[in-house]
Amino acid sequence: MKRSALLAPMLVLLTLATPTESLYAQYERPVDVAPTEEDIGSGYVTPAVQRPLPRSTLLNITDIVLLLGAMGISAWLGLVRRSRTGIVVLAIACAVYFGFYRKGCVCPIGAIQNVAVALTDPSYAVSYVVIAFFFAPLVLALLFGRVFCGGACPFGAIQELVVLRPVQVPRRLDKALGLLKYVYLALAIWFAVLPAVERDFIICRFDPFVGFFRRTGPAYMLIIGGAFLVLGMFVGRPYCRYLCPYGGLLAQLARFSWKGVTITPDKELDCGLCAESCPYGAIEKMRAVRTSCLSCARCYTACPRERAPARGDASVESHEATG
Amino acid sequence: MQYRQVRVISGKGSQPEQFATALRGIALDRTGALYAVGDSEVKVFDADGTLRRRWPTSKPGYCVAVDRDGTVYVGQERQVQRFDDAGKPLDAWRDTERMGLVTAIGLIEDNVLIADARDRCIRRYDKRGRFRNDIGKDNRTRGFLIPNGVLDLAIDAEGIIHAANPGRHRVERYSLEGQLLGRFGRFTGPDPRGFSGCCNPTNLTVTRAGRVVVTEKAGPRAKVYDATGKLLAIVANDAFDQNCKNMDVAVDAQGRIYVVDTVRLHICVFTPMDDRAASEPASAPAEGATKP
Amino acid sequence: MNHETTRRELLGHAVRGAGLLGLGGVAVYLTAKAGDEGVWVLDISKCVNSRLGATGIEACELCATSCVRPLSAVRAINDFEKCGRCYICPAYFDVMSEVDENGLPSAKLCPRDAIKREPIGWVDPDDPANNFYEYTIDEALCNGCGICVLACKDPSGLGSILLEVRYDLCLDCNRCSNAAACPDDAIDRKPLSRAGAPQRHPAS
Repeated sequence: MKRSALLAPMLVLLTLATPTESLYAQYERPVDVAPTEEDIGSGYVTPAVQRPLPRSTLLNITDIVLLLGAMGISAWLGLVRRSRTGIVVLAIACAVYFGFYRKGCVCPIGAIQNVAVALTDPSYAVSYVVIAFFFAPLVLALLFGRVFCGGACPFGAIQELVVLRPVQVPRRLDKALGLLKYVYLALAIWFAVLPAVERDFIICRFDPFVGFFRRTGPAYMLIIGGAFLVLGMFVGRPYCRYLCPYGGLLAQLARFSWKGVTITPDKELDCGLCAESCPYGAIEKMRAVRTSCLSCARCYTACPRERAPARGDASVESHEATG
Repeated sequence: MQYRQVRVISGKGSQPEQFATALRGIALDRTGALYAVGDSEVKVFDADGTLRRRWPTSKPGYCVAVDRDGTVYVGQERQVQRFDDAGKPLDAWRDTERMGLVTAIGLIEDNVLIADARDRCIRRYDKRGRFRNDIGKDNRTRGFLIPNGVLDLAIDAEGIIHAANPGRHRVERYSLEGQLLGRFGRFTGPDPRGFSGCCNPTNLTVTRAGRVVVTEKAGPRAKVYDATGKLLAIVANDAFDQNCKNMDVAVDAQGRIYVVDTVRLHICVFTPMDDRAASEPASAPAEGATKP
Repeated sequence: MNHETTRRELLGHAVRGAGLLGLGGVAVYLTAKAGDEGVWVLDISKCVNSRLGATGIEACELCATSCVRPLSAVRAINDFEKCGRCYICPAYFDVMSEVDENGLPSAKLCPRDAIKREPIGWVDPDDPANNFYEYTIDEALCNGCGICVLACKDPSGLGSILLEVRYDLCLDCNRCSNAAACPDDAIDRKPLSRAGAPQRHPAS
């Protein structure tokens, strides 16, 4: 175990690399009568089979670095710089890169099932990229809360951008619906640990937004996605809050996070403007609830204390948020 | 001119008269007995299809030819094995440089013509196995174009070599010295007057009267041309398994056409339906008129 | 108060530390297994377009239409080492179309005109049939429909054109829609170590 831990970085470099010739299955040919280079003459050289190489190790590492960077910036913007504009820009950038450019794969949400399979099926493994994408946001959640949701997740970003006229979901209903994601998480793990023939990757199958990123997909997928976006105009981030199984994992880890969003820079006014500004119902008793705070930074813009004093005060140590 | 199928000889199986994995070449001797090679065996059939005798060859055979004196030549990978008329092995000719895969043998007077599919040309030997010259090698493609993997030849009554050049969709005629004397055929797509597909005809034989019987693959069929390249008859269109290719063909003195079905491992026999074709004008009897 | 805070902080550190250790442990366990994860592999001996013996059929074009990529991650390749370089290639030409004045079929087979044809080697200026021709598939145009694969299959061709998963485009979906659509189960996920014996280097 220890040795493999030490070897891991080296192995990453080795095996993120091109899965080479072994991918191409053997084919018993009936005859072998192709003309040789000598037959063809005039210095003809048989060209190599055009075989585009898989995504390079470097690009895979770039993805991981970009994810870590996005989450780092998200944490900085949300917890230190307290910039709503910055968060929006970051979210758009991540939606463009991880969503539209990378077509929503690899994503940590779907990786739940792959990781579950890899933990239970000895013949199944997940790649280093999947491991990195699955674990990095969890570690960041332990440190800074759900900063992945706030700035790095393309699904979050696409919903963040459609929030138009959010209503405050009644607290009890909100809490009840919030339990759905744990049901979904349990179902996802159940379907993942089934024997290989019955295994079903339900998270990917019912992924609501990946069809938009790929601009193609089964009709039901696009319809579910469209419904979530329309709903998302009035109910902030419905998928993240009520259904995202990875959000459930992050929420439970964020409960114990080291730092978290603190709304007022120094002393609260008890004005409640922040709570009204939060489309996700994540502010209770003037404090951001770490399990449901998505680090979107809207509350700062609503806070009179944030606007009034000099910016320099922003980093002043303030009240702990409730856990 | 029309033909009808009258008989099927041999087949796939483990019986003595059947072939288990492959049936590749046929030839007729002067008496009308049918020699078939496949697996690693030579089988001799009567005209009615009964097995007369059989004997093993040292390697899987690709073609067979029978000389006037009854000597049987079997073309194999890297060698030609000879047997006497009773099936007793006489000798084996090996020529590492010139015999890659022997897929056709023609016999005329003192000449043994061997088609080498590996090097895509015809080798001329004498009956003692001494090499004389190459035929069909001296061109820009360094030989015949045989993407089908088999080179076939036949010799007519005048000693002229007919060779299939399927990549060019032609039948070519050569002198024994290797001079190109003439050719016919071109690609005509769906029109049966010419040849179809990537590489046809794959196999051929010549009748005593100089008519050329060819077989094509994809879809498999047999056709008869006159010496000028005019299509006389389509022998069969749908008698063969669709996956057949390189179907060897032979014709006897009565004008009956024998075609190998290389998938079902049997030999289809077709007979002309009108008497005129059956009694085609006889010319000088020729050795090797029925090519391997 | 101070004492209380310290205790709470300590407890928090302990929980976080335990959490990090736990996550790290699971990650290390998975890392030890990683490197042998599966990829989607198209088995040409199952694909009806290349499976020997399946003749006289229409090409199965599901790989072109099922993939989640706009241009399918399955495409045809021409294995130049096996290509017969025919004068009339049944995968390039529609060999059942009428013959034009040059003696060539008048129509091409590829619906996207993705195959290029070039004479190579010693080119005979007088006889176009007296040459070898190189057939190259334009990977930017090929959508993996497999029509040419079927036409090149033995016995009508040499079977040098085959369908393959392009790993630069394949998103490695957990649910491959080509695999789900394939009536022959020709696309399956195989661990790298079991994806078949080495045949040749892709770009050597």
